[in-house]
Amino acid sequence: MKRFAFLLCTALLAACGSSSDNSGKTEITLMRFFGSCDAKYAQVTNASEGVGECGIITTLVNEFNATNTDGIVVRTQIGEWGPYYDQLTARLVAKDIPTVAVMHESALGDYVRRKLVLPLDEDFARIGIDKADFTEHAARGTAFNGQTYALPFDTWAWLWHINTRLMKQAGLMQPDGKPRLPHSPDELLAQARQFKQRTGKPYFAWAVANETAANDRTFLTLVAQQNAQLFAPDGKAIHMQQPAVANALTLMQKLYAEGLVKPNLDYAAANQAFLNGEAGVVVVGTWTIDQFLRESQKDDSPLKGSYTVVPFPQLYERPAVFADGHSWALFKGGATDAKGHEAALKFLKFIWDRSAEWSRTGHLPVRRSVANSEAFRALPLREPLAEITSTGIAMPGNVPTQRAIELLIGEDVANLMLSAKPVAEVQASVEKRVNTALKKARR
Amino acid sequence: MNPLLRRGWFDRFVMAALTLLALAWIAPLLWVLALSFKPNEFLLRHTDVFLAPPYTLANYLDILQTSQVFRWLGNSAIVALAQTAGVLVLSSLAGYGFARCEFPGRRLLFALVMFGLAVPAQSVFIPLHRLFSDWNLQNTLAGLALPGLAAPFGVYLMTQYFKAIPTELEEAALLDNASRLKTFVRIILPLSLPAQATLGIFTFLACWNDYLWPLVIATKPEMYTLTRGLASTQTNFAQSEGLGFLMAQAVFAGLPALTLYLFFQRHLVTAVAGTGKS
Repeated sequence: MKRFAFLLCTALLAACGSSSDNSGKTEITLMRFFGSCDAKYAQVTNASEGVGECGIITTLVNEFNATNTDGIVVRTQIGEWGPYYDQLTARLVAKDIPTVAVMHESALGDYVRRKLVLPLDEDFARIGIDKADFTEHAARGTAFNGQTYALPFDTWAWLWHINTRLMKQAGLMQPDGKPRLPHSPDELLAQARQFKQRTGKPYFAWAVANETAANDRTFLTLVAQQNAQLFAPDGKAIHMQQPAVANALTLMQKLYAEGLVKPNLDYAAANQAFLNGEAGVVVVGTWTIDQFLRESQKDDSPLKGSYTVVPFPQLYERPAVFADGHSWALFKGGATDAKGHEAALKFLKFIWDRSAEWSRTGHLPVRRSVANSEAFRALPLREPLAEITSTGIAMPGNVPTQRAIELLIGEDVANLMLSAKPVAEVQASVEKRVNTALKKARR
Repeated sequence: MNPLLRRGWFDRFVMAALTLLALAWIAPLLWVLALSFKPNEFLLRHTDVFLAPPYTLANYLDILQTSQVFRWLGNSAIVALAQTAGVLVLSSLAGYGFARCEFPGRRLLFALVMFGLAVPAQSVFIPLHRLFSDWNLQNTLAGLALPGLAAPFGVYLMTQYFKAIPTELEEAALLDNASRLKTFVRIILPLSLPAQATLGIFTFLACWNDYLWPLVIATKPEMYTLTRGLASTQTNFAQSEGLGFLMAQAVFAGLPALTLYLFFQRHLVTAVAGTGKS
C-alpha cells in the first residue's frame, strides 16, 4: 500500500511540472495528426533524416524551430486521426484556436463555408508562395469561390499495389516486366479469374469490413472513370439512379461474389494478406508505398523483389482515380496578433520550400516543380504515379460534409459485398441517406 | 480430499464450463499482452503468434520516452481521484437524504435524479461542452473532473444501501442527543463503507478510462489525460503499422486501474454481495 501511495505521489508531482519557458519568442501552435514519434525523432533537426509521415513532419518542425532566425517556436499539438475534426471543432467553439492546422481538402470546404478559415492569396503572393506552381489537383482542393484557403501539402490517391511474382505465376506479366493491367471491366474479371485459377489465390485484397473508406474510394473511382456526374451541379443532391453507378456497383459485387476479393478483411488484414503473398493486388493509398517497398527488400518476405505500384487502372472511358490531399490552414483567431500571423506564414513558406521531403512518404507532390523534378521521379516507383496530380478526382468542392457522405456511401457499398445487398437497394439507400444528410448540412 | 472432487458431477460440469468461459474471456487480453512485446514491423505480417519470438520492450520504451506521458498519468490520477471523492461525498449526502429524510417533493426529485440514468451521456455532450467553454474551463483540471460529479447511479446505489440499514441504529443515536449530521457521519457512513468502496472503484475506473470527454475538453497536450494522450501518439494507421505500440498503450493505460482493482477487490465483492440486504 505504501508503495502504491508513493507511486501515486510521484505521478501527482510529475503532473505539477511546467512546460519550458519560451519567453521573448513568437510561439505558434500547430495542430496535426500523423502521430507522435518523440522517442525516435525528438532531437533530430534535419528533415532529410525523417522516415514515414510521423518522422518527416516531426523533423520538419524541429528543423524549422532550430534554423529560423526570427525567434519563432512552433509548438505541435497532436490530435488523433479518427476524431480529429471533432477535436478541431471543439477547439474552435472554445476559442482555443490553433494557429496552423492540417486539414484534408475534403474537410476544408465545411470550415471555409462557416467563414472560419483565412483566405491566403495575398499572403502567399507576399511571402513568395507561387500558386502557379500548385498541381491541378492541389489547386482544386484548396480553392473555393476563386480564393485559396490552405497551403497544399500532398495529394494522396487510390492505387493498385501489385505482387509481380504472383502475377507472373498467373501469366499476367508483359514481356517488358510490367504487370498486364485490365482496360475494361470484362478484362478485369477475366484476368482475375485467370489469376485465381492459376495461383489458387484471390486477385484482390481490400478492406471491405469494419472500414468504409476503401469501398467508397473504389466506387467513386469507377463512377468517375465513366464520366458520370454523381452530384448535382449545386452540390445539393446525389444521383445514384444512373447506369454508371449500376455498372460500378455490379462490377464490385461480382468481383466479391466470385471470390476474386479475399473476403471479410479489414484495413490491417488486407495489407497483411498482401504482404504475405495471399493476394495479387491490394487496393490502398499512396501512404503504404514506403512500407511495402521496405518489406519487398527483406529476404524472408513473400514480397521480396516482386512489388510494384500503379494508379488505379483505367477500366472505362477516361483515366480517373479518387484522390484527396492534406493541406495547412490558418484559422481566424488562431494568431492573436500580426506577429503571430507572420510567424505562421513563415512556417508555411518553410514547409513549401521543403515540400519535396514529404514526397518520400509515398504521397504525391503538390508542386509542379517537385512532381517534374528528377529527384522525385528518381524515387522508387513514383514516375507512373505523377499523372495522378492531374487525373485525381474528388467530390466537387460545393458538396458539404464530404467525410460524412463518404462514410454513408462506404457503408452501403460494404453491404453490397458482405451481405450481397441488391444493387438497386444500395442505389436507393445511398441516395436516400446522402440526400437527407445534404439537406441537413449547413452551407 | 479436494473440495472440488467432493462435489457432484453437475457442479464439476458447471465449474469446467465457467473455466472455459473465463479462458475465452481472457484470451483477447492475453493476446493484447503478447502482441505488446512484439516489434511493429514483425506484426505487419504476423498477428497470430502468442509466445513465439521475437520479443521486444521497444513499444513500452517508446511510451516512456513520450515527453509528456507522466504528466498525462498525473492528470488522470488527479482527475479520477477528485471525481471519485466528489461523487462519494455528493452521492452519500443525496442518498442519505432520499433514504432517510422526509421533505416536500422528495419522490419527484428522486424520480428526476433517476431520469438521469436513462439519458445517454452523449446526448448532452454538445451543450455540456458549450457550457464549460463559456465558463473558460477548457483545458483545466476542473473542466475534466466536474461533469462526472453528476452521478445518478451513485445516488441510486447509496439510497438503496442506506435504506437497507436498520433505522434502530439511528434512533438509538438520536436518543443519545446526536444531531442528524453526527448520526450520519459517525453511525451511518462507517456502515456504508462497502457501498462507498464499490461506488468509488466504479467511479474511478469510469473516469480513468474515459476518452470522449477529455477528447473535447482537453485540447492542449499538457492537459491530456492518459487515454487521450496515448491516443494522440498513434499514427494514422496504427492498427496496421504500429500494432505492437498500440497494444503496449492498452496495457500501459490499463495497469493502474488493474492495480487498483487488485487492492480493493475484496471490498468490491463484499459490497456487491451485500447491497440490498435488509
